[in-house]
Amino acid sequence: MSEPIFVVDHVTLRFGGVVSLNDVSLRMDRGEILAVIGPNGAGKTSLFNSLTGVYRPQDGSITMTRRDGSTMEVIGKKAHRVSAAGVARTFQASRMFSALTAYENVKIGAESHRGIGVVGAMLRGPLTRRDERQSDDRTVELLRFVGLQDRANTISSSLSYGDRRRLEIARGLATQPQVLLLDEPAAGTNPSEKRELANLIRRVRDEMGVSILLIEHDMKLVMSLAERLYVLNFGSVIAEGTPDEIRANPVVIDAYLGTTSTAEA
Amino acid sequence: MSRVTLALRSPTSRRLLTSLAAMAVVALMTGPSGSATQPMVGPTGSFGEHVSIFGLFPGPRWLLFFLFALVMWGIWTFWLRRGTSLRAAASTLATPPKRAFAHRPVRWVFYVALIGVGVVFPHLVTSQYWQSVMVEQIAVFVLLALGLNVVVGFAGLLDLGFVAFYAIGAYATAWVTGSLPTPAPFGVHLNPFFAIPVAIALVMVAGVLLGTPTLRLRGDYLAIVTLGFGEIITIFANNLYGITGGSYGSGGVTGKHGIPHFSINLGPIHYRWTLNPVPYYYLILVFVVIFIVAFSLLEHSRVGRAWTAIREDEVAAESVGINPLKYKVMAFAIGAASAGFAGVMTAAQSIFIFPATFTLQVSINILALVIFGGMGSIAGVAVGAMVIQTGSMYLLHSPPSGYQPADLYMYLGALLMVTMIFRPMGLIPSRRRRREIVLTEAGEGHMNEVLSGENP
Amino acid sequence: MGAFGHFLVSHFATLRLEFWGLLVGGVANGLIYGMVAVGYTLVYGVLRLINFAHSEIVMTGGFTSYFVLRGVIGTSIPNGWATVGILVVGMVAGGVSGAVMAMLVERVAYRPLRRRRAPQLAYLISAIGASYFLFNLAGKEFGRVLLSVPQPYVNHPIFSVFGAPVQLYYLVIVIASAAMLLGADQFVGRTRLGRGLRAVAQDSETASLLGVDVNRTIALTFALGGALGGIGGFLLGLGTGVVYTMGFVPALKAFTAAVLGGIGNLRGAMIGGLLLGVVESLSIAFVQPAYIDVVAFGILVLVLLVRPTGILGERLGRAA
Repeated sequence: MSEPIFVVDHVTLRFGGVVSLNDVSLRMDRGEILAVIGPNGAGKTSLFNSLTGVYRPQDGSITMTRRDGSTMEVIGKKAHRVSAAGVARTFQASRMFSALTAYENVKIGAESHRGIGVVGAMLRGPLTRRDERQSDDRTVELLRFVGLQDRANTISSSLSYGDRRRLEIARGLATQPQVLLLDEPAAGTNPSEKRELANLIRRVRDEMGVSILLIEHDMKLVMSLAERLYVLNFGSVIAEGTPDEIRANPVVIDAYLGTTSTAEA
Repeated sequence: MSRVTLALRSPTSRRLLTSLAAMAVVALMTGPSGSATQPMVGPTGSFGEHVSIFGLFPGPRWLLFFLFALVMWGIWTFWLRRGTSLRAAASTLATPPKRAFAHRPVRWVFYVALIGVGVVFPHLVTSQYWQSVMVEQIAVFVLLALGLNVVVGFAGLLDLGFVAFYAIGAYATAWVTGSLPTPAPFGVHLNPFFAIPVAIALVMVAGVLLGTPTLRLRGDYLAIVTLGFGEIITIFANNLYGITGGSYGSGGVTGKHGIPHFSINLGPIHYRWTLNPVPYYYLILVFVVIFIVAFSLLEHSRVGRAWTAIREDEVAAESVGINPLKYKVMAFAIGAASAGFAGVMTAAQSIFIFPATFTLQVSINILALVIFGGMGSIAGVAVGAMVIQTGSMYLLHSPPSGYQPADLYMYLGALLMVTMIFRPMGLIPSRRRRREIVLTEAGEGHMNEVLSGENP
Repeated sequence: MGAFGHFLVSHFATLRLEFWGLLVGGVANGLIYGMVAVGYTLVYGVLRLINFAHSEIVMTGGFTSYFVLRGVIGTSIPNGWATVGILVVGMVAGGVSGAVMAMLVERVAYRPLRRRRAPQLAYLISAIGASYFLFNLAGKEFGRVLLSVPQPYVNHPIFSVFGAPVQLYYLVIVIASAAMLLGADQFVGRTRLGRGLRAVAQDSETASLLGVDVNRTIALTFALGGALGGIGGFLLGLGTGVVYTMGFVPALKAFTAAVLGGIGNLRGAMIGGLLLGVVESLSIAFVQPAYIDVVAFGILVLVLLVRPTGILGERLGRAA
């Protein structure tokens, strides 16, 4: 079996009296496309926020393995530290820096892990300029990769929904992650955009070598894209397996039919 | 009765009532002042006094302001209602031409011309009063506004205690030059030039010390804590007689010597600044240009982009690896630097410094310059500072009847409110800020969430 | 050690001698802080922001009741029922004017921004502007000196607590503010308007869908907080006189109290006020009077850094 990238071990997350994640354990391997599905309110986004350091679960541990093989405990780390360790993400309702252009959005991601260098920034020394050039090159490359090279100077909030999704992916990739967490990337996109998005996600994994963790409601997309799935319901993992196994699992069918409409399933 | 209420609720009559109320307030603001023994003199005088404008309009004030209100109502109803709102009109009225400015050569010619004007300016102003105002009240406040703009405009943090950094800069100068009751460091009395690095270093340390614990707080809490910090600094300056000279100022009760002027002694070059404000003007001008260049480079650097990202969506910024606290503290320290420098200039020029120079009101004054000029816009805050400071100094110099110096803060308060209501992006908006405000109002963006700290 | 030990011993000796006297003063002040703090907490509940102009509502209440008392009280100091009547009139004047001023502030400085969903920074700046405008206007109209309020009674000690005399003024504060705080608590908890207020505090969008008039509720919230702030202004003015800057420091302390008790939490504000008043008063034994305000600020910063949700936590609708 290959090397794990995330090991989530008996994680419990509570808000006041509400249990959002209940004793969740899962494992994600390097290089795979893994999906987490489940009805609304099952705790998927809470899981993402715990994996990225936005929330701090009360119990359990989340271990992340860096590219060099060293490990890091995610719980208790600030979100920017987790990002620096190689975890990038997108948000459910895409969160761009809406007054900035697509180009600037990606560039912020590309340069965030460089040294701060106020003095350098003010003096514009040769080192700063070289840094800038590298960030610029990377930004252009990524915009081309996601197919937004023509919209580089568009204000991000005036992009279409599908384009915003791509831009968010590019911004995440700019931080040079090992794993990209996608929170409902296909929400609000039309069928042809969905196909393109699925292609893009596959290319991110194949060409950039970035592992993908995905939350998605669109079952067609998930089943065609993911190699392995976890099913969450009421904050607990109720099933795990390949798309075929999940499709045949009576517990999963029950959870979905019991709580949500067929439109989502 | 219901017919009366209905009539009052119609847009026309509501506009009339608003106009009347607004003009009544203006009448009060510009009218005579009351006193302890006769507290009703102000209100009665504001409406009852007789005025004449250029001898053309003799009559009581209430009639004049009633006519003003009618004019305001008329403009509002018959002119602005046709397709445009008051706010949109206020916005278009003050939009500078942008097109030509996009060309680089045009911009450079403009900058050089601007510096040229700056250089010859003191020779056009011959009045002693205005020459010293130019230095003490305009140039120094441009520096302060530039600094606060980094904090409020770039990083989006409301700092109400900014005056504290100004005070620390000034007291540091007095300290280094041996002019405080407390002994000077190193035992030598230095030239104020040496106070510049010391003061800047001190205020930046103060900025980091204050910022590191408090910048985790939500926007409104931060405002109150910084306000408290400003007050505490003033209380200490006022009461630590043995160290700061207390309310007697830097001379203290012991009658210490004053803060020396700047002087240069480099080999054959000897120059000493004196009481004449013009040489000080040039000294500050040099530093204003340096600060403007440094801050605008910073704005368009990775640091400036990081600030924008944090301001717009702190959660997303953190998710791409930006450490919000680090950048906020940085904004605090950098903004403080220019305030510290302004403090050095004030101290070196005014011989003695007093805690009364560094009150909370000065913080509000600086904030008004930044807000009026345009948050985040370097050109805006510089112009805003010049316009407001010139105006307030004119009022001080030749006050219209009924005006008292302390009334200034009433006008500044009103200005803050009116700017936020009608033109939140300020006189000369920064491009990014204008987009943000327009977008937030259209329901885009996450600014509200970020500022109130209510993460999902 | 020796010097510090001596410091502690001598100051604790002062504290022991003065304890009950300081406690009485602290409770009285604390109740006023609590009343003003209710205004912060209520507005925070519905708008999720700190009303920076609340200090001027205190000032308005102080000045209005000053003028009313000046008109009502003649040359001789009243007593008996006349005193009670004048106190009630003063409270009504302070409360009504505070409520009206709070609604005006909401109408002018907040509502235009709310209508266009301005960022929070805009509200803060607008409110600070309103505050500066108002108190400087008051300074211009009524002079910038302290005016002493005509006294509706002779302020002699009524009874004593463990040897510390309790003056009539303190008794008035305790009775008036306890009544007002209880009233506010019942109003928010029991009445239909109070329910609307809590509904808006919880989720204004849902509340408006359920037929609650959000604008009216917000205005009402300002009015209620303003009334208590205005009465607080009257009680403050009765003791120390009125001046255009009178609102600033008490309001800042009231804000501290609101945060201390958990902003958005009505009962927390009252408890926070009492606690702050007592701590501040007892600290007189340890620090010079000039630094008393530093103590309050110190508490504020400490609370914000250590436990920003306050003692009772944030509430008023929102699930803890």
